[in-house]
Amino acid sequence: MSWPTDAATLCQDRFGLEICEAEGPLVSADQALALATALKDELDFRFFVHVVSVHYPEVEAIAADEEKGIDAIIGTPDHTMVHYRLRRLANPNRSTDTFAFRIKVPTGESTPSLSGVWLGADWQEREQYDLVGTVFSGHPDLRRIMMPEDWPGHPLRRDYAIDTSHFPWR
Amino acid sequence: MSLHATPHPKDTVKWTTVGGVRVPVHLLIPNLPDPFMDIEDYEPDADLMVLNMGPQHPSTHGVLRVKLVLDGEVCVKVTPYLGYLHRGVEKLCEKLSYVQITPIVDKNDYVSPMMNELAINMAFEKLIGAEVPRRARYIRTICAEIQRLGSHLLWLGTFGLDMGGAIGGGGSIFMHTFRERELLLDLFEDLTGCRFHYNTHTVGGNRHDIPAGWAAKATQVLAVISKRCIEYEDFVRGNKVFQARTVGVGIIDPVLAIDLGISGPVLRASGVDVDLRRDQPYAAYDEIAVNVATDPGGDCFSRYVVRVDEMRESIRIATELLAGVPEGPICSLKPVKLPGAVKAKHGQGVYSSIESPRGELGTFVVGNTVRRQSAIPYRCKIRSPSMHLLQLLPYICPGNNISDIIVTLGSLDPIMGEVDR
Repeated sequence: MSWPTDAATLCQDRFGLEICEAEGPLVSADQALALATALKDELDFRFFVHVVSVHYPEVEAIAADEEKGIDAIIGTPDHTMVHYRLRRLANPNRSTDTFAFRIKVPTGESTPSLSGVWLGADWQEREQYDLVGTVFSGHPDLRRIMMPEDWPGHPLRRDYAIDTSHFPWR
Repeated sequence: MSLHATPHPKDTVKWTTVGGVRVPVHLLIPNLPDPFMDIEDYEPDADLMVLNMGPQHPSTHGVLRVKLVLDGEVCVKVTPYLGYLHRGVEKLCEKLSYVQITPIVDKNDYVSPMMNELAINMAFEKLIGAEVPRRARYIRTICAEIQRLGSHLLWLGTFGLDMGGAIGGGGSIFMHTFRERELLLDLFEDLTGCRFHYNTHTVGGNRHDIPAGWAAKATQVLAVISKRCIEYEDFVRGNKVFQARTVGVGIIDPVLAIDLGISGPVLRASGVDVDLRRDQPYAAYDEIAVNVATDPGGDCFSRYVVRVDEMRESIRIATELLAGVPEGPICSLKPVKLPGAVKAKHGQGVYSSIESPRGELGTFVVGNTVRRQSAIPYRCKIRSPSMHLLQLLPYICPGNNISDIIVTLGSLDPIMGEVDR
């Protein structure tokens, strides 16, 4: 997949981001709101496609050991990767450009809510908060949307024990 | 074809461009209602009443609960509550292999299961790097168009019920459309052996080839429904009661709709000319021209017009494709004996989307990098168009009567199985 050149140029020149060919640029949480506003207002990315949080549990770093035949593994802290995807509907040209960016959110920290930029992000961010546990700061109505309000934990986290029963279904 | 005059003549509409999108001027609403309004700020003397619609109300099309704050008969504030049908499909996808997921997602949008299978398998094929043979792409497109026709038929019938059986008295349009939908279910039964949850798409192609004589039977059925569509038009479009209940009701601002992520017939009924079948062709749509139906009215009547035009277009596409299905294999991979035989190559997120009867149905899937679990997705997210449709309610319902809210909700055609997943 190739990204639209104007959006890629904006990310590289103004925000100094590196574009990943498969998943779009990795944006820091401080820059996210400014980038989203620029994408919507200047480049007409007005159609909100989706926001997905993917949880990655902590991975311990392992040093390479040639005798035992172990490859080195780079350790990562417990975090969620939040993928945003947008589309530009320019219907006289019948083009549907898609652009995506992602934000790495360590567990315990929050990422700015983009529901003020795209109204469509409102419920999707609530869903990701409910199921994955990503906190979107500045969201007007960050409640659970799918699970009951008193549900313990966030089911789509990788460390959520799905084989044991949970309140109230024990 | 006999058509009555439409209440929205296209030639008198003025257009403007907002953000690169051509939209009708008369639909732009300057002051939108605030969905987070504090009802204390409403007129202090008003005698407000809170009414719960759902989750067992038949007109909510499933288990949707809508909390209405009413001033007499007029709605002041609307708050939808979801989650009554949440089954954890996305979590289940993290436990099943790529081949085993297809029958699970059938139950998401239970009115058009073919679309769910197509959407999720296209994402898996993109992640895995599997090609789809040309014959399978044709079969997929034919199934998708017949399914779109069936879904719109069901919508037309239930929309008649939402208006209190306003069309023809009682539930007669419902009976008509269900008679035709039965023919389509019979077609799918001949093709896949199942009437509803087909499990016919798989990674790399299809499971079931077209049986002998099926193409001729399908063409015949589509010709019958094409004639019946003219009957519906005579029955519904010029009906004074139908027009009184739908014209000017539930007007949707196209700029707001794009901002909310609305797609499909609801967006096209607000005059925006967008269709993924034409703009981003998948399956066999790059080999056939798709005429996109739009209407500049933006109200419930326009959504009826767009859906009936789409039904005719689906009949045309399916009939043309049925005449020229190429020979060849229907699956690029060998028949799968073990569910773990299909493996992802990388752990990057991949997104792919199709135009379902309700709008853009997309799947975002992340492959698992642990070698032992490479036949299982790491994360699978389904972008459902119905969830975005329901986000409209707090914006378009305030100021309307309760009876108009039910018509508006029916005209959006949300499917709760897809919203809650």
